[in-house]
Amino acid sequence: MAMVLFDRVSKRYGGSGSHDALSNVSFALEKGEMAFLTGHSGAGKSTLLKLMMLMERPSRGHVLINNRDLSALKKHQIPFHRRQIGVVFQNHQLLFDRTVHENVALPMQIAGYSPMDYARRVKAALDSVGLLHLEHRNPIELSGGEQQRVGIARAVVNKPPLLLADEPTGNLDPELSAEIMKLFTLFQHTGTTVLIATHDIDLIKRMGKRRLILDHGTLSEASYGG
Amino acid sequence: MADNTPRPTSGASQTRLGRQEKVTSWLAHHQLVAVETLVKLLAKPAASLLTWLVIAIALTLPGALWMATDNLQQLSGSFQASGRITLYLSETSSDTEARKLAERIQQLPDVEQTHYISAEEALSEFSNSSGLSEALIMLNSNPLPAAILVEPPLGLSQANVETLLTTLKRYQLVEETQLDLVWLERLQAILLLGERLVLVLGALLALAILLVVGNTIRLSIAARVDEIRIIKLVGGTNAYIRRPFLYTGVWFGMVGGLLAWVFLIALWLILNGPVTQLATLYGTGFGLRPVSTGAATTLIFAGMTLGWLGAWWSVSRHLDEIEPKA
Repeated sequence: MAMVLFDRVSKRYGGSGSHDALSNVSFALEKGEMAFLTGHSGAGKSTLLKLMMLMERPSRGHVLINNRDLSALKKHQIPFHRRQIGVVFQNHQLLFDRTVHENVALPMQIAGYSPMDYARRVKAALDSVGLLHLEHRNPIELSGGEQQRVGIARAVVNKPPLLLADEPTGNLDPELSAEIMKLFTLFQHTGTTVLIATHDIDLIKRMGKRRLILDHGTLSEASYGG
Repeated sequence: MADNTPRPTSGASQTRLGRQEKVTSWLAHHQLVAVETLVKLLAKPAASLLTWLVIAIALTLPGALWMATDNLQQLSGSFQASGRITLYLSETSSDTEARKLAERIQQLPDVEQTHYISAEEALSEFSNSSGLSEALIMLNSNPLPAAILVEPPLGLSQANVETLLTTLKRYQLVEETQLDLVWLERLQAILLLGERLVLVLGALLALAILLVVGNTIRLSIAARVDEIRIIKLVGGTNAYIRRPFLYTGVWFGMVGGLLAWVFLIALWLILNGPVTQLATLYGTGFGLRPVSTGAATTLIFAGMTLGWLGAWWSVSRHLDEIEPKA
């Protein structure tokens, strides 16, 4: 069963003169699969992720997540769609007016869990990224790598079936990057489908996972480990 | 660590919430947001003082006007029953019959006093007061009927006065009756105008409150754009995002309404002395009535409703513009 399915998807921004950000992209990710999305900057990696998050709509073609055609989703259904996707950004998007714990708790709170229900889950998520001891700190006091891991904890706290990451190691040194990648592998082992957009080719090679390559909006696929 | 690591069996399945749990946590979130927004407002009163004052003044103006009409109504109420009834008797009635009737009417329960005016007395009074005495002399007969003035007791309600009037109309000698209520009707008309004015002014100022709250909420939305983006990104519904802003609007309206109440009490304290003095000079014991608790409650609820509406309007306008970005 495919968790993610792109069926001849094109996305064109702006007027008629502009080029396609994505053109005729088709691929599938099976449940529990982990893959990397690479390509030069502006190749369409972010666009592809945005289509899955319904932050954008495709100009042509269909995107299916968990066998659901996203073009059929109405505007008011978007929040509920997003709840099944954990997402990690290069710019971690944390809120600095609340603690690490509260940041990670946000998706649980939004999904309607009571603090009693989610306190344990939040602690578990923070523990899995090794930050339980910083639970009550403000994220602004944390290092870049720690902030990134708080973002990951927030993405997985709701145990989403699909985890997306956009340049999650962009600002980190190789050692921290490897650690973060290890975390993603761990989540894959628990059954989560993981797609990571990155340009860190060295890292990918060592991981030996499937690799999707975008070049000027066109998708090709490299062999495992390639 | 081992205990808390996500297990393979549970990794891909999200826990679903039951309906009962959803309602409970929805209520809990309402409570949380209500308290949080109120605490936030009260923690920084200086920041929202201007909004509170504008709402308070906008509510005080129609409130004061309402207080004025309410008091005039009270005033007119105490005069209502003093409407004197004049009974014009038929020409065929004799002086004796008429005097007897006046005495009988005097015995009626709702009658304080009667005063009989014979046709001759009426004529002489008229000729004196009108200055038409010479013209009247030329008439062969007295054109004026005899009359009985009936004074109901002070404070008799209008309904009772009207009942009395119907009773009096039944007497055979009585040809015509006249209830002296013209000035009262004029006062009623003025009061009606006052009430309309309260409505029109109230509507205009309600609009002002909507705009003020809407603008304040717009500013606080602008200050929380990042938060809204992130909430949308992790699956927050519009209702979830709207909630704190709506509560903030309601609290604005509530504090504004309370302040308006305080203003109206102050107004009453300032005006009551002079009004009582004036009333004493006119020989009445009239005193200014303060705003009733019911009216004050209405005022506060109006403030809260308008605050909520203003916030809703503002959030609805700006929410769609804020979309998450990568």
